[in-house]
Amino acid sequence: MSDAADMPLIETRRLVKSFGGVHATDTVDFTLKKGELRCLIGPNGAGKSTFFKLLTGQIAPTSGKILFDGDDVTGLSSFEIARRGIGIKNQKPDVFDGLSARENLWLAAQFDTDKKTADQRVEKVVDELKLASFVHKLVGELAHGQRQWVEIGMVIARNPRLILLDEPSAGMDQEERIRTAELLKELNTNTTIVVVEHDMQFIKRIADIVTVFHRGKILREAPVDVVLRDPEVRNVYLGRTEVA
Amino acid sequence: MIKFLQKLQSPSSESPGAVWWAFIVIAAVILALLPQTLGLAQLLDLSVVLVLALLALSMSFLWGYIGILSFGQTAFFGAGGYVYAVAAMNFGTTTLPFFLGILLPMLLAAVLGYFMVYGKLSDIYFSVMTLVITLIMNKAMRATSGSQYVVGDVRLNGQNGIPGVPPLQVPWNPEITLFIDHVYYLAAALLILVYIGLRLLLTTPFGRVMIGIRENEQRIELLGYDARRYKLLAFILSGALAGLSGTMFAIWGNFVAPEMFGLDRAAEVIIWVIVGGKATLIGPIVGVGIIQYLTTWLGMQGVGQVTLVLGVILIVFVLAFKEGLVPTLGNLLLRLLGVRPGGQAEPGSDNEKGPDV
Ligand SMILES: Nc1ncnc2c1ncn2[C@@H]1O[C@H](COP(=O)(O)OP(=O)(O)O)[C@@H](O)[C@H]1O
Ligand SMILES: [Mg+2]
Repeated sequence: MSDAADMPLIETRRLVKSFGGVHATDTVDFTLKKGELRCLIGPNGAGKSTFFKLLTGQIAPTSGKILFDGDDVTGLSSFEIARRGIGIKNQKPDVFDGLSARENLWLAAQFDTDKKTADQRVEKVVDELKLASFVHKLVGELAHGQRQWVEIGMVIARNPRLILLDEPSAGMDQEERIRTAELLKELNTNTTIVVVEHDMQFIKRIADIVTVFHRGKILREAPVDVVLRDPEVRNVYLGRTEVA
Repeated sequence: MIKFLQKLQSPSSESPGAVWWAFIVIAAVILALLPQTLGLAQLLDLSVVLVLALLALSMSFLWGYIGILSFGQTAFFGAGGYVYAVAAMNFGTTTLPFFLGILLPMLLAAVLGYFMVYGKLSDIYFSVMTLVITLIMNKAMRATSGSQYVVGDVRLNGQNGIPGVPPLQVPWNPEITLFIDHVYYLAAALLILVYIGLRLLLTTPFGRVMIGIRENEQRIELLGYDARRYKLLAFILSGALAGLSGTMFAIWGNFVAPEMFGLDRAAEVIIWVIVGGKATLIGPIVGVGIIQYLTTWLGMQGVGQVTLVLGVILIVFVLAFKEGLVPTLGNLLLRLLGVRPGGQAEPGSDNEKGPDV
């Protein structure tokens, strides 16, 4: 392992996932340097969520390779990949409904530490994300936006080296979106992040480089302004208000 | 009162409060005083309820905490009983056999659990497998009537079982053996200890991860926990508990027989847990008491089809009181007192709430 700043933290080589005959992910070569904050965009069904699930071992690739910090992690189970330092918020809320928000955070925080440090981490996240007003409630009884915050909190509480967020601002109001964007920029000072988003305002706020997925492949990878002006990207998104 | 009931309902993994400990102390005092008022026959009846409550807990803990439904707790129950019986009759002492009656079922659970958990059996196949294991052990034990089936000096006796299982001796003075009232006290103490232990387990990281697995196994894995390891450990612990129950059962009745592994018993365990409520730890204990006394009473009334009646009760509970008696009554009381039950399952949900009491 080298310390070179431009060494890729995560890299995929000709990564393929097919469901039946459909290539949800199609020979994707993706590289992300340490410290980047990257946005993934693309129409529904482009394969973004599938790509995230491959990176975190939730599904196994049909072929191809995944390297994390120089190590081949292809085919590792999701808990092993999580231990190496990848944290994910899936697109669908993925929390412990029957537990309180605090217990949710606590389960995330205590994984690699003792009870006391875990408690401190939980309090820190509660503070940072302003969860205090509902931290004692059952997550199953929370509003959608609050559940999103709890899940983001769980990801952060683990102190991962790479954070993957699949549509984190879905179901949030404008103010919450701005808060999320600010939070991501702050987290990015010491964590590498990939975000799947549809909201262009949100993307402009946080990212410089954007990767566009289309039909399982990477269609473009360029600075956000370039991508938004790209006729092919606009064509893919045709009819979508976010780009217009 | 309201607070107490809310405590009963709460799915919390926080440390149990003073109210809970007061409840324990009161229960312990009552159990300690009962022999003053009960005759030996009644004490004998009550003892077996306490012993079987350990078996019920071994199942409800697995089901309620981590979400694994094991029909096979009777396999470990029977194993515990037979191990104690055979070892005690061979050794002439009972202290080591008592612990073997816990240890060997635990090992059995470890081996079987390993193959089932790491063999990636889905939850439903896991349940079916546990049932199959019980049936196999029952069949195997029934087939041991021939005189060639001896372990040491003890004939296994097939269907007839092994009579004359030695009573438990006081470890430091083997001259003294436990009499009916002593067995009662031992059973009561064990039940209270196991109950406290299981409740406190919830406050440990291990316990919380178990609840997490029940709630969302995928999320647990994404946080870096190896869910299979936790499932295996929980299964081993439940095997040990069932073994303890079986050992105590053999001591209580001075007798073991293949019925300990039987389908009837396996079904009974499910009925106890469902009637009492799997989401709590107290529920299954109450369930054992009710069903056990009901069975005896029906027998005395000359009702021949006791199993049929139990079956009907099971169906009624599954359909009408899904959560089981203890949570249902608790919520009802809370409602009468005008309080919204805290942490109550939403209507229609499967009541996957954390067991608290
Ligand atoms: N488990 C699955 N089984 C079959 N097809 C799937 C599965 N998951 C995703 N797909 C398909 O893969 C494609 C990509 O889906 P997805 O990754 O969810 O896209 P996105 O997140 O970009 O909207 C879609 O055509 C979807 O129907
Ligand atoms: Mg998606």
